[in-house]
Amino acid sequence: MRKQPLLTRIGELFKPLVRYTLLLYKFNLKFRVGLLTLTALILFGAISVATPPHHWKWFVLPKDQPPSLSSIDVIMGTTTNGRSVFWASTNAVLNSLVIAILTALIASHVGLFIGLVAGYRGGLIDRTLMFITDSFVVIPQLPLLILLAMLLRDILTIPFMALLISVSSWPWPARQVRAMVISLREREFVSTAILTGIPEWQVILKEIMPHLLGWHLINATNTVLYAIGAEVGLSVLGLSILSIDTLGTMIYWSMIGYPSLFRGVWWWPLPPIILTIVVFVSLYLVSTAIAESIESKRGVIS
Amino acid sequence: MSGEGLLRFALIRVVYFFATIFTAFSLTYLLLRLMPVNAVENVITQITAQGMIYDPEALNILRRQLYEIFGLVGSPWEQYLRYLRGVFTLDFGPSILAFPTPAKSLVVRYLPWTIGLLFFTTIISWVIGNLLGMLSALKEESILSKILQGVAVTLYPIPYYVMALVLIFLLAYLIPIFPLSGSSIYMERLDLGTVLSILRAATLPALSIVIVSALGWWFLSSRTLTLRVKAEDYVEQAYLRGLPEGLIVKKYIMRNILLPQVTALGLALGTIFSGAVITEAIFAYPGLGLLLFRAISTGDYSTALSIVSLSIYGVALGTLILDLIYPLIDPRVGHR
Repeated sequence: MRKQPLLTRIGELFKPLVRYTLLLYKFNLKFRVGLLTLTALILFGAISVATPPHHWKWFVLPKDQPPSLSSIDVIMGTTTNGRSVFWASTNAVLNSLVIAILTALIASHVGLFIGLVAGYRGGLIDRTLMFITDSFVVIPQLPLLILLAMLLRDILTIPFMALLISVSSWPWPARQVRAMVISLREREFVSTAILTGIPEWQVILKEIMPHLLGWHLINATNTVLYAIGAEVGLSVLGLSILSIDTLGTMIYWSMIGYPSLFRGVWWWPLPPIILTIVVFVSLYLVSTAIAESIESKRGVIS
Repeated sequence: MSGEGLLRFALIRVVYFFATIFTAFSLTYLLLRLMPVNAVENVITQITAQGMIYDPEALNILRRQLYEIFGLVGSPWEQYLRYLRGVFTLDFGPSILAFPTPAKSLVVRYLPWTIGLLFFTTIISWVIGNLLGMLSALKEESILSKILQGVAVTLYPIPYYVMALVLIFLLAYLIPIFPLSGSSIYMERLDLGTVLSILRAATLPALSIVIVSALGWWFLSSRTLTLRVKAEDYVEQAYLRGLPEGLIVKKYIMRNILLPQVTALGLALGTIFSGAVITEAIFAYPGLGLLLFRAISTGDYSTALSIVSLSIYGVALGTLILDLIYPLIDPRVGHR
């Protein structure tokens, strides 16, 4: 067996992914539109590194100022507590995406791992794991999140929030991965691989994983989507990290904290609503594009 | 299929239902217990912050009661048993929201509104979405079908409550057809005025659910299914035999897309419920969502726990019922 440094090996894993992305970008309109929008959003979020320090204080700017082109602070108006809607929005996009991507990294991999173990090992391990998974599937996601967030709201931080949302978003993927692994395990190329006597983890990594990778990618994208939605949903109930800007908390403060539409301050709630929808649609386009391409190639990214 | 087989299937399914419910509640208990915070002190802080109780004596009594409500007295095993008893009787003690009133009776008061909203919106969107999806797949080349497809792809990923915010913006702020605040409902007597006020309060929440789920998920899935069924050999053969189009659609296509869509309905229940809860809170529609919102803002765990437990029951029961009636719709399903 040839030995390679770990980094190279990890790099090898991502090579097909990059090639695949380029290919999709070239031939799939949905993917192109989705990815470009997403990139634009990430760039918008990245602007937030330039946030002026006075943004974190209240009433530095005049309150309830409609959008005007006089300075970058008021380009999208100001909030009722005298903060710039523009800077709040850029921070919100960044924070929401960070929460969502962290969630996707945690939940989709936990789901993948549990599904792999259950499907590959079978027997008692499978039944135990799937029973726990089923019980989680029965618990409606948002009410569970609400209950947990209610307990934790005073100590919520961004990574904690991601962990919290992950609790409710790993069971379905685990179930689906298991189903796929069970059918893959019965295929001839896997039995052949097992018979050649290569170690178990190599069978999983080299023979089974390539067939799951495409699906895993879609699932991760969908988890990002779900996490953004869950954060907004929790926020509407006042259960997010209310002291930082996220898409959800912006909506909370502008529509529920200070019902701004009553006073005609439309420029405060509108950006987070529009940005949320744009995030949703672009992520969905990306995930359907991948799904379409995989359907025609039976799940293998190569 | 024999009657005995049916009975055995139903029995196994019911036992499984209780087993998953039991585990689900035990998991919830574990998760709640693993949280590194003290629920009781949380509630006390919340209450004193709002200045609800000033008397220190009363506060101490409340604290003791809360420790009992949350089952935080006695050994872990006793605590767990007390929690399970609460879950199975749906009785988590007095609410904090409306202090001496039990949480259970609060939930019972708000429950019919949520069931009503969920029932109507689910049925309406299921029917509309499936019909439109099927028609759009049958008339695949028409412009309208393509427009609908585009709309559906945009709407599908959006949660109901985000749609709710959009609708408030459009139909309450920009074009003020509906009130910006949730309209209050008076239930003194049942007359035209009451019915109208209910309709006025329920339209926007219902609309935000129906638009997203009918034109999003149900439309897309029924369209995909119809396209697949349309390409099947037996449909082709029916066309070649010169059967009237109406008959083919009704007997060959509709029945085949109905089946997976009924299953999907069962699976969708949980999501619909979750989304509807937040939508209700946004519109101040007097359902469980609003109650949950108020419970959260007063730190009322007993009410929140009752609602969550109820939703676990509801979703599991919905899936169970669909599983049991499934063989009635699909003669091919055997009971193993």
